[in-house]
This record gives sequence, C-alpha cells and structure tokens, in this order.
Amino acid sequence: MKSSPLHFPFEWPAAAGPPEALVTLREEPVVRVTLPSGDEAFLVTRYEEIRRVLSDPRVSRNRDRPGAPRMTERKTKVFQNPRIDRDPPEHTRMRRLMAKAFTATRVEGMRPHVRRVTEELLTDLLRRTPPVDLLEAFAVPLTLRVICGLLGVPPRDQGRFRGSLDEAWRYMGELIEAKREDPGDDLISALIEVHDEDDGRLSAHELHVWCVILLLAGFETTATQLGSGVVLLLTHPDQFELLRGDPALIPDAVEELLRCQIAGHSLSMLRLVTDDIEIGGVTIPKGSGLIPVLESANFDETVFPDPLRLDITRVNKQHLVFSAGPHFCMGAALARLELQVALEALMRRVPTLRLAVPPGDLRHHDSPLDLGFRELPVMW
Amino acid sequence: MHVSVDPEKCCSSGLCALSVPEVFGQDERECVVLVLTFEPPAALHDRVRAAARRCPTGTIEVRD
Ligand code: HEM
Ligand code: SF4
Repeated sequence: MKSSPLHFPFEWPAAAGPPEALVTLREEPVVRVTLPSGDEAFLVTRYEEIRRVLSDPRVSRNRDRPGAPRMTERKTKVFQNPRIDRDPPEHTRMRRLMAKAFTATRVEGMRPHVRRVTEELLTDLLRRTPPVDLLEAFAVPLTLRVICGLLGVPPRDQGRFRGSLDEAWRYMGELIEAKREDPGDDLISALIEVHDEDDGRLSAHELHVWCVILLLAGFETTATQLGSGVVLLLTHPDQFELLRGDPALIPDAVEELLRCQIAGHSLSMLRLVTDDIEIGGVTIPKGSGLIPVLESANFDETVFPDPLRLDITRVNKQHLVFSAGPHFCMGAALARLELQVALEALMRRVPTLRLAVPPGDLRHHDSPLDLGFRELPVMW
Repeated sequence: MHVSVDPEKCCSSGLCALSVPEVFGQDERECVVLVLTFEPPAALHDRVRAAARRCPTGTIEVRD
C-alpha cells in the first residue's frame, strides 16, 4: 500500500477528462488518502471489489459513531442524522415505503411531463441572445421542476431552498404541514398518508428527513450530469454527429456519458468499516473509513476496454454512477429519463449548439465538494 | 431458463420491471420485485439475462 497519503477527492481538471490520479489508481486495490477534514480513509479502486464492498454488511453507511471518519468538518445534519439508521434492515424498510413513487410505471408515466417542461424551456432558451449559461437556463430549471412536480412543491416556492440545507429543512417542514391540511396527488402527500396511518411505519422525523433528501438529491445531481454530458458531446464532435443522426442511440449514449462523466467524485460514498475486512489481500481494520470510488470502477479497463475513450455505441456496460447494493440511487430511473429526454430535445431543437468558450476555459466549482461546472456558456 | 429472486436483497429499484415488464413486476405495497413468469420464453432470455446483470443488488438469479 502507498505510504504517503494522497488527498481525496481528487481535483478535476476542466473539460479535459478525469484527473491523472484516476488513470493509474487501480494499480493498487486499496489506496490510503486524507480527506478534507484531515481524517484518513481507504479508497477501493477496482470494479469487482467496489461492487462487493457496496453490498457488504460490514461496510456501513451509518457514520454517526464516535471517532468515525468525516468528509469535512462541517456537520451535515440531514445526511448524517443520528435518529435515522442508514443501514439495512431499517434503511431498506424506509426505502420500500418510498419506492412507490419511483416504480417503473410511475417513472415512465412522467415522460410526457418531462417532455413538456423540456420543450418549454428550450423555446425560452431559443428566444434569448447567446451566449447563454446552459446550466441556469436549462439543466437546473428542468431537473428542479421535475423533482418539485414529483414531490408536490408548488412552482412559486421553487427558488426557496437553493441556498442551504437549513433553508431546505425549514421549507420542507412548512410544506409537510401545508400538505397535511391540503393533500395533493404527489409524493409528499402519499408519504404523509403512510405516516398518518400511524402504525409506526414512518415517523414524522423520518418523513421530514427523507423529503429533504429527495428534494436535494433529486435535481442538482441530474443537472450536473446533464451539463457534463453536453460538454462531453460538444468536445467529441464525431460522437455528437453520430448521435444527432441516430436518436435511437440516446439510451446507450446516456449510459456512456454517465460512465465518462467529468463533473467530479460522488461525495456520498464514505463508509465506515464495522468489522475487519479484507480487500485485494489488504486487511482494513474495523473503524476505518472506506470509499468505494465509483469513478474508478467506471474506468476499470478489465470491464470497459479502452476506458478513457467516449464511445456512445458501447454495449453491455454496467457503470456504477448510481452506486449499487442497498443504497443504489433511488432516482436512477428518473434521472435516466430526464437525461434521455433532455439530450434528444436539445440536439433536435438546437442542432448547431456549441461551447461559447474554449473547453479549457470551463471551470469546475472551487471546492471539490461541489460537483460540476460553475457555468456552461453555449451558443448556436 | 429458470428465474428466481431473493426479495430480502431487493432495493426496490424497479429497473428489472422497467426493462422486462413481461417477466418482472413490483409488489403494490413495498415495490419489492415479483417474478411474473419463472420460465420465460426464449425470445426474452437475452433481456432477462441483462436485467439480472444490471440488478444493482444481485437479487435476480438465472439458471439455464
Ligand atoms: C444523474 C443523476 C444522479 C446521480 C449521478 C445520482 C447518484 C447517486 C449516488 C452515487 C448515490 C449514493 C449511493 C450510495 O451511497 O451508495 C445516490 C443516492 C440517492 N439518490 Fe441519486 N443520483 C442521481 C439522481 C437522483 C434523483 C433524480 C433522485 C430523486 C428523485 C435521487 C435520489 C437519491 C436518493 C434518495 C439516494 C439515497 C439512497 C439511499 O441511501 O438508499 N438521485 N444517488
Ligand atoms: S432490479 Fe434488482 S433491486 Fe431493482 S427491483 Fe429488480 S430485483 Fe429489485
């Protein structure tokens, strides 16, 4: 194992592709790093082992224990909440209560709504004078309106929780109260109903926490990935042309764009090892922090030949952008739907889309803890 | 081909039901995977195998 610890998350260079460190990371199965908090953790670097670790009961998502490693010094009260057990079986029980909103049929049923919002936003976009920031003008409002529609957040409130976690927390409390008085055909109302049946299946606190998680997990990630996908296509004109000529490739293209994403490291992956575990011949002691690096799995050459090449016609890929195991992203089907609809419409309605700055001028957010680009100026 | 699932593992992602609705469903209450036909017709075998591979929790097992 390397002795001088690297710092993680790695910094992502502009649109150039993944960080240098990610290209060679898999030479070792386990790599020790220092986190922004100063705590240390072990990275798991290879695809198969990452999948295994993600389903291992000795690798816990619940880090609310004394001495557990932290990503940052900042306490995030919603995502590491002492009264919410983020491990199975308790966690699985909660997820199953909410999974109703994300069933196959329900997600497919949202396609017309996602289409309508997409077309509206593109009509507005085309009225503007380029250059325009595609994130603020398209990606963020699209994903925000979709998740708000699903949850039942009224359009007039959709600017109220962009600032901070505290604001989102407070806002959601008010909204739950309002929905209790006046329920609608939305996820929050449905969850309130489960709670009010009062057989202990869903406490008021759990309800509040999960509504906030859904709201925040629901739009920024998807908007960021839409931005990343557009940049990848615009910097790979052959792939862009190929896709524009054959929209049937869209579903596969979305998977490949997610695999090759250039937004940054998924930050919710830090786990706690609750019992000694062996990974690639290395024993990771109980109490250690462990990060299955999804972005490394997605560049694992034993699974994806020529992994750095963006090839939208790749088949049979099971990238891990949405993780795996009991915490597998609940919104994966919805996110895929949004990305498919958005990319198809964008290429059809803005076929001359291009970056308004040289790719090298695109900047990620200053902190590696904020994913994606600061802005994405485009013209057409 | 014989399809079986371990519902304890299922994280209710719904991916299998989305990709092969002829073979997989989700129960009403908790959205846990349901197998609708344990012996799917040959025409579906490729898609069933793909769904098993893509299942994020390794819940689906396929025997030939
Ligand atoms: C392309 C966009 C998205 C990406 C890349 C993404 C990725 C992820 C990742 C990596 C995790 C962590 C899983 C783990 O800890 O192992 C996660 C969890 C989660 N995501 Fe997503 N996500 C996206 C979109 C969405 C959307 C649209 C929603 C909601 C509608 C959503 C809801 C959630 C929830 C609720 C969790 C927590 C699951 C759990 O802990 O059991 N995500 N997502
Ligand atoms: S894909 Fe796997 S985890 Fe998802 S619903 Fe089907 S069996 Fe369950």
